[in-house]
Amino acid sequence: MNHGPVIFLAAFLALTASWFGFVLMPDIQVGGLQQTNMVGVAATYPVERPGLAREGLDVYRANGCASCHSQQVRQSGTVCNVVMTDAGTNRVAVIDVLTQELPDTSRSEIEQMLVGLPKTVLKGSDRPKANRMVRALKSSGAKSSLSIVPVGPDIARGWGKRQTVAEDFLYDDPVMLGSQRIGPDLANVGLREPDARWEYLHLYAPRLEVKGSIMPPFRYLFDERKIGQAPSPDALALPPDLAPPHGYEIVPTRKAQGLVAYLLSLQATAPLFNAPLTVPPSAEPTAQTNAPSKNP
Amino acid sequence: MPEPIQPTPIAETGEPQASQLAMPVWLLVLMFLLLYWGMVYFDQHSGWFNTEVYVPYYSLAEVQEFQPPTGGVDLQRGKALFDNVCALCHNPDGMGKPGQAPPFVGSEWVVGPPSRLIRIPLVGLTGPVSVKGQVFTFAASMPPMGASFSNDDLAAVLSYMRQSWGNKAPPVTSDEVKAVRAQIGNRAQPWTPQELMQIPAK
Amino acid sequence: MVSSQTTTQSPSVQSQSAATMAPNSPVPSAAVPAATDTQPPVPSPSEIDFSCRLPLLVLFLSGAVWLLIASAFALIGSIKFHAPDFLAGTPWLTYGRVRPAFIDSLLYGFCIQAGLGVSLWLLARLGQTRLNRRWAVTAGAAVWNLGLTIGVVGILWGDSSGFAGFEIPRYAIPLMFMGYVMLAFGSVVVFNQRRRRELFVSEWFLLAALFWFPWILSTAALLLDASPVRGVVQAIISWWYSSNLQTVWLGLVGLAAVFYMLPKLLARPLHTRYLALFTFWTLILFGTWTGVPASAPVPAWIPALSTAATVLTLLTIIAVAVSFYQTACDRSADALVRSSDQPAVKAQARTRTSALLSSPERLALWFVTWGVLGFIVAGVMRVLSTLPGLSETLGLTWFTPAQSMLNLYGFFSLVMFGAIYHILPGVIGIQFPSTRRVRAHFWLALSGIALVVLPLAGAGILEGVELQNPARAFVEISSATLPFLRVSTLGDLVIAAGHVLFSWTLAELVLKCYRARAVSAYKTATADLFHPVEVKS
Repeated sequence: MNHGPVIFLAAFLALTASWFGFVLMPDIQVGGLQQTNMVGVAATYPVERPGLAREGLDVYRANGCASCHSQQVRQSGTVCNVVMTDAGTNRVAVIDVLTQELPDTSRSEIEQMLVGLPKTVLKGSDRPKANRMVRALKSSGAKSSLSIVPVGPDIARGWGKRQTVAEDFLYDDPVMLGSQRIGPDLANVGLREPDARWEYLHLYAPRLEVKGSIMPPFRYLFDERKIGQAPSPDALALPPDLAPPHGYEIVPTRKAQGLVAYLLSLQATAPLFNAPLTVPPSAEPTAQTNAPSKNP
Repeated sequence: MPEPIQPTPIAETGEPQASQLAMPVWLLVLMFLLLYWGMVYFDQHSGWFNTEVYVPYYSLAEVQEFQPPTGGVDLQRGKALFDNVCALCHNPDGMGKPGQAPPFVGSEWVVGPPSRLIRIPLVGLTGPVSVKGQVFTFAASMPPMGASFSNDDLAAVLSYMRQSWGNKAPPVTSDEVKAVRAQIGNRAQPWTPQELMQIPAK
Repeated sequence: MVSSQTTTQSPSVQSQSAATMAPNSPVPSAAVPAATDTQPPVPSPSEIDFSCRLPLLVLFLSGAVWLLIASAFALIGSIKFHAPDFLAGTPWLTYGRVRPAFIDSLLYGFCIQAGLGVSLWLLARLGQTRLNRRWAVTAGAAVWNLGLTIGVVGILWGDSSGFAGFEIPRYAIPLMFMGYVMLAFGSVVVFNQRRRRELFVSEWFLLAALFWFPWILSTAALLLDASPVRGVVQAIISWWYSSNLQTVWLGLVGLAAVFYMLPKLLARPLHTRYLALFTFWTLILFGTWTGVPASAPVPAWIPALSTAATVLTLLTIIAVAVSFYQTACDRSADALVRSSDQPAVKAQARTRTSALLSSPERLALWFVTWGVLGFIVAGVMRVLSTLPGLSETLGLTWFTPAQSMLNLYGFFSLVMFGAIYHILPGVIGIQFPSTRRVRAHFWLALSGIALVVLPLAGAGILEGVELQNPARAFVEISSATLPFLRVSTLGDLVIAAGHVLFSWTLAELVLKCYRARAVSAYKTATADLFHPVEVKS
């Protein structure tokens, strides 16, 4: 190590190795990612964010929202649940199956399971056991379905349905995953707070909507203007202590509209091959069916 | 104003030296132990460079284990049937064979609407076919296979094709196969790609 | 400047041939006549120092100014945790802009500039060669500062790139790149013209660092700014860039300074060349793969590889710790010198020891020593926060900024302060006006760092543990971390006070130097005017 070129070569080799590994390889693997089919739902994912939301991504970037908010949902594992939808006609056989499959459950509890279907009869199990249960129930004449449920503290907190994956950020530029949670994770904020009015009020006066929030207000994203012939439909409904002087109203600027459109578009819930989950029946798209629902 | 100080060279000791003593052996031992740990860790947690494996899954098998149920479609059976029947022309890796059969990897016919895909094996396919922008022309048309497959088996094979070699499409169910069979009735002549494109996607 | 350079130094110190100059020999009190060699004489240490004066002063002074700016941003950001409405009406002072402006001012304004200044001096000193390109280097520093100013203003303006640690807007990057290339060019020329061919360990680190930065910067600039890659690859590249800058580049330059300063200030040989070699290789081989968090939405092999590499950087940390302990605390080195039968070695050791006990050299040693401790603790924190089992708790919390603050302040800045305090008197030719102020800076820096890092780490652990419990509302968790964050404001304040003292000392030294030069220049220039008058009277 007494020659400059040797050291140069050492540094070059070390850096090139990691360059191939962490720059080139990921670009080859995920850089060419395309829309994929959702699993179990006839739709492709992701779709490009609408134009206003893309403007909002820029507002998100310019104001450094990623300094306080991550967009990374962590999943610690996956479990299977079995939901019985129909007990069939042979109750005895079904109870036999359940007794056999659930040795820790008492007879009376199992009988309770048959009342008020659909009911989750197996929770938090691994796949083979759930498969066995579904098969056994089928043979006894009952109908049941197996659902895939991602779990973890973030998911239990309601921050997401599954872990975030590369597909969720395919059309974003720049991709801002954040490194810290000074505020809550935003990967699914559009699902959590789907109301644009809530978002506007929260941006204008965070503590109005969330008691004890430490988010700074973003009033510079709003305009105070004289009410014209009629109040604007976008005007914020503010309590008296925050309300503008009489005859004036607070309306979101284009930037605020973009930001809120972007926040509402943050929904990383599509079931994908690399992030499998069962979409709960209520969330399933109901476009093609005109059949009246069972429980009106 | 204080007396200005004249810049003067400050007395300086010589440049430092490094001793040539050998480095501790335990550090090298530790390095090999940590390297070994690193390899084991990588082996267990990386999914071996697979693009589809994300934390918390550590291997492709785990990802596959948690795929939602496909309505009775058995992918293992699908693979066995594919390797025995389809692979003769389309190759076990789904890449097709020049002059005989087009590839399935990334093919819009395979991952596209099941209503079109299911029709192909039932009565066969003829004419030049475009796959991923490349036009394939073959001397012989694809023979009809509908009679030799049950609905369940065909659903298994097609689902296997739609979820292998990097294809990621939802499985085909045996109900869908049954419905398509009923729709085409007694037709015996093979499809042309143009005909198939007129079948609605849904 | 150039012409006065030659007048300030006595020509008698210049001459000493390469043959008679043993690498470790002290500066002779009397000049040795030049050998009849065709080679020009090896310049003396003070000559080398004087040749670096202008670029070093520019780099260090602008670094100090950026430190003050960074402190101001840090304070504004921190006060927002006391009152979220503080300055909330001003778009360019919102937390999301002030925080990146703080980090980038500290990182690119102080750390990189001070690092480049120290590398330049180290390369010149260790290579026993004068800096001949001081104008290129000075111009490079100016271009870098211009680019960075545009960049930081751009961040406040809302043009941040959105990538953590690389927020500088795309239009400022070419200037900074150019500035760096000019700065590094000076260093590479110095390295190339070195007279002492045998390399000291620090020179490996510095040379590697010089090449490291333009590579990672150009990769980030091309693939994130110029023609952005798609999707999460952007995030991977930004993590790769960040950790290559903050772990590897800062590590290389900081450790080069440590491996130079420790043996020099302690007047003992560094323990040992092979340990330093091991440090070098483990740092560049494993450090360059770190930085991707376990929670990243990327294929599992990327975080898995990053985690394994981060754990392997433990080797670097242990090697530095052993090397530091053996060099600083092992008394056998002194015994070896004492038992040496060479009187020269003994005399040398005596002069060094006496020099060591007099400030401010000892203060420089304090800074470096605590900097090494900062390196060790920050490195262990980095490993802890990626360790499987702990990363789920510590990741995405305040623990991450605590680690990065400790790395930037507690390791790199402390080492740089020590190095600057060691280098500057020689470069300017003036002893420190006030060691009391340096001492005060030391204690303020140390307590400030503790007051920032410990509360933030505490907040991070608390936040991480509480986030595991989904029943606990997020607002409650963030309120629970507030007391910690508010204590860290105090730390920011103390650090800022230290930076004021540092900048003050620097400014005073420079003023004194130029005033003295102006006075002597005035005397020389006016000597002809006054002399005849005196004769007449």
